[in-house]
Amino acid sequence: MSLQIAGMGWVTPLGRGVDTVWGRLIRGDEAPRQPISDPVSDKEYSAFRVPADALEDLPPHPRLRRASAISRFAAAAGIDALIEARSTIGEIDTEGMALVFAVSNGGVIYTKRFYHNVVEAGAQSASPLLFPETVFNAPASHLAAILGITGASYTLVGDGAVGVLAMQMASDLLDNGAFESCLVVGAEEADWLLCDAYHKWRLLKKEPPIELFRDPPRGMILSEGAAAVLLARQGVVEIDAIDAGGNFFQRREAKKIVRRILHNLADEQVCIISSANGTFIDLAEQKAIERELASALVYSVKPALGESVGASALWQVIAGAQGLRTKRLPQMPHLPQHIGLNFPASNEIACTKAIILSCGLNQQAAGLRLSI
Amino acid sequence: MESNQNRGLNDTEMRRFNDLGGKTAPARVAVVAAGVVSPLGFGWDETLATLRANKDCVSPVTRFDVEKCRCKTAGQVSDERLSERRNGRKGERLHRATRMTMVVFEESFGQDPKFKPELTVIGTTSGGMSFGQDYYRALHRHRDLRHSPGWIANYPPQKPVIDAQDAFNISAPCQIIANACASGTNAIGHAFECVRSGKYQRVLTGGYDAISELVFVGFDSLQASTPEKCRPFDRDRSGMVLGEGAAIFALENLESARARGARVLGEIIGYGISTDNHHLTQPDPSGSGPRRAMEQALQSGNRSAGDVNYINAHGTATTFNDAAEGKAIAELFGGVPMSSTKSMMGHSLGAAGAIEAVVCLLALQAQFLPPNINFRNPDHGLHLNIIPNESREAKIDTVLSNSFGFGGANASILIQKLAA
Repeated sequence: MSLQIAGMGWVTPLGRGVDTVWGRLIRGDEAPRQPISDPVSDKEYSAFRVPADALEDLPPHPRLRRASAISRFAAAAGIDALIEARSTIGEIDTEGMALVFAVSNGGVIYTKRFYHNVVEAGAQSASPLLFPETVFNAPASHLAAILGITGASYTLVGDGAVGVLAMQMASDLLDNGAFESCLVVGAEEADWLLCDAYHKWRLLKKEPPIELFRDPPRGMILSEGAAAVLLARQGVVEIDAIDAGGNFFQRREAKKIVRRILHNLADEQVCIISSANGTFIDLAEQKAIERELASALVYSVKPALGESVGASALWQVIAGAQGLRTKRLPQMPHLPQHIGLNFPASNEIACTKAIILSCGLNQQAAGLRLSI
Repeated sequence: MESNQNRGLNDTEMRRFNDLGGKTAPARVAVVAAGVVSPLGFGWDETLATLRANKDCVSPVTRFDVEKCRCKTAGQVSDERLSERRNGRKGERLHRATRMTMVVFEESFGQDPKFKPELTVIGTTSGGMSFGQDYYRALHRHRDLRHSPGWIANYPPQKPVIDAQDAFNISAPCQIIANACASGTNAIGHAFECVRSGKYQRVLTGGYDAISELVFVGFDSLQASTPEKCRPFDRDRSGMVLGEGAAIFALENLESARARGARVLGEIIGYGISTDNHHLTQPDPSGSGPRRAMEQALQSGNRSAGDVNYINAHGTATTFNDAAEGKAIAELFGGVPMSSTKSMMGHSLGAAGAIEAVVCLLALQAQFLPPNINFRNPDHGLHLNIIPNESREAKIDTVLSNSFGFGGANASILIQKLAA
């Protein structure tokens, strides 16, 4: 059964809107560093944040009155994807639409505030307004209410690969025949606590730039935003294969599973939208690509946009779809001189297929292939 | 094109059949193994014995300080018994949720060691939340953060499942569903759909959640939890108590299971899911969300309300949930016997739907109706056939299990005893 992308929405530190963000990536823009600090510690980190003006025209809705940033990002991306889909394939019945929401860290800002009150002043100070927003499916619930989705809504939690797992779930839901379309959304918000956690886990660097494929790896910069992809039977870019991958138990084993995914998805005239982000993932993907698809063009959005974890795989999907639609890929900044991968030397490409390769930081890896 | 009558399919099934190019009829979905741990006990036998004994397994909270909370009790899984199953030094670093997940894997794969899933779909709400708390408390008090990499690594919700899969040499991709309190039933329902469609032969599914201070305090702040006994559907109900646990199911295409001689414990036959956009934490008082989920489950299972012999209700004992769910059940099912087994073990959130599905399987196998304990006075606004305080023998073939959660997540599954 044909599975197509009918509409996309993109909220990133380089702004909102597929054409806007893509245009800036093609120009070679990188998101600006923003310092991120917290009263709990004197340590300061860097993050790439969504600019406030990106959400200025978000329609007022009671559900967004108290909602956290992650819900606002998701709402903006979801609304934009539906608008594009309606212009591409016509009216869409939200009663026949499922929602699959991919997230990794979730509403961490409100969760931290809620628990901070408990730690600081005791359980009796816990806020009943904040607690419901700490639940993983709160952003999906808000989005469903805004869009009028009353059927299936699933929130999937995982690492950076969760976006591909969400696409797999959407494909399964559409194959089951009960839905006409499925909106797949990935969203994440940045917070100091996450930066500190990833730093303690030796995955974060304190200042940009993100330098990919270095050995040893130099670290990533955390970012935030959302992506939404409306899947239907008709559209502009086809999802022609999904490999839900599997799990690696040690970081050194990541290469093996990434290679298996690449092997399964390999095709002619393919480019690879990599999840390389400045961590151990880079080397795993580099080795796998060198063995399986050495001549394929490789591109990663992460030097420009940062690591948005739960949203990242869907950012890659949008980048891949845009690459195929526009026959262009942005050039990659801050690369080492001698490396056995094939990066876009100019913006023009001749690929008709794109592999979205997603290796997460917490043991999951998956991939899919787009075609046009 | 074949007619519905020829294949005994309802309209939804026929549409699926046609979508699959007419090549494959919807598959029947067998439960070939299951494992459970909850406040009711470790494994099937203990769980069955506790259900039959109508035992209240809720006790004072021991894992963290609840002095400043209204509610001071919960259903808890014995730490001592979980510790007995630690796997060397590595086990000491694992989260309790991981250890509970490993317990249920052990039981399930003990029943069917040959089961190799192509996909794992597990529900949870909070993953390794208590490690996140440990980390934040240590940061806040400028204490020793030497353990923080371990806390961070074991915090993500997929971690207990991946660790358990590693221990049992399984590498299936993991979809972790976090649909609040409906997560476990949503996971089983989605896994059922995956096997039923013919796309997968074997899917491992279920749910887990370990009690944590943040979640406990959260429900207390909403005044959703009670300082008294948990009395679902009682006129004087005053709220829920939390619980914890895990349960998993090995689901397999029935033909495939029979072909390899697997023991079949029951059959999942229907699934319904709906989203209620009324409010983030409260159901539409009309009960329309739960009703749509239950109607869909019946339609998906090609059954009528009259075919259902027992309902394991979501039944949190909160004013709003029980009123909305009770209204929907009364309208749809009339006087079908029902109970909320949360009265015995508390509400284990993402694990609840999975644990309660095991309760349903046990009821089908042992032919009895599990009780709704602590029940004193019927709510005359709800016209329900509650099974008060004591389990009782009954001939049952088909049961419905409900789970509803924050965010308007509603899920129902229909399970039947497989004819010999």
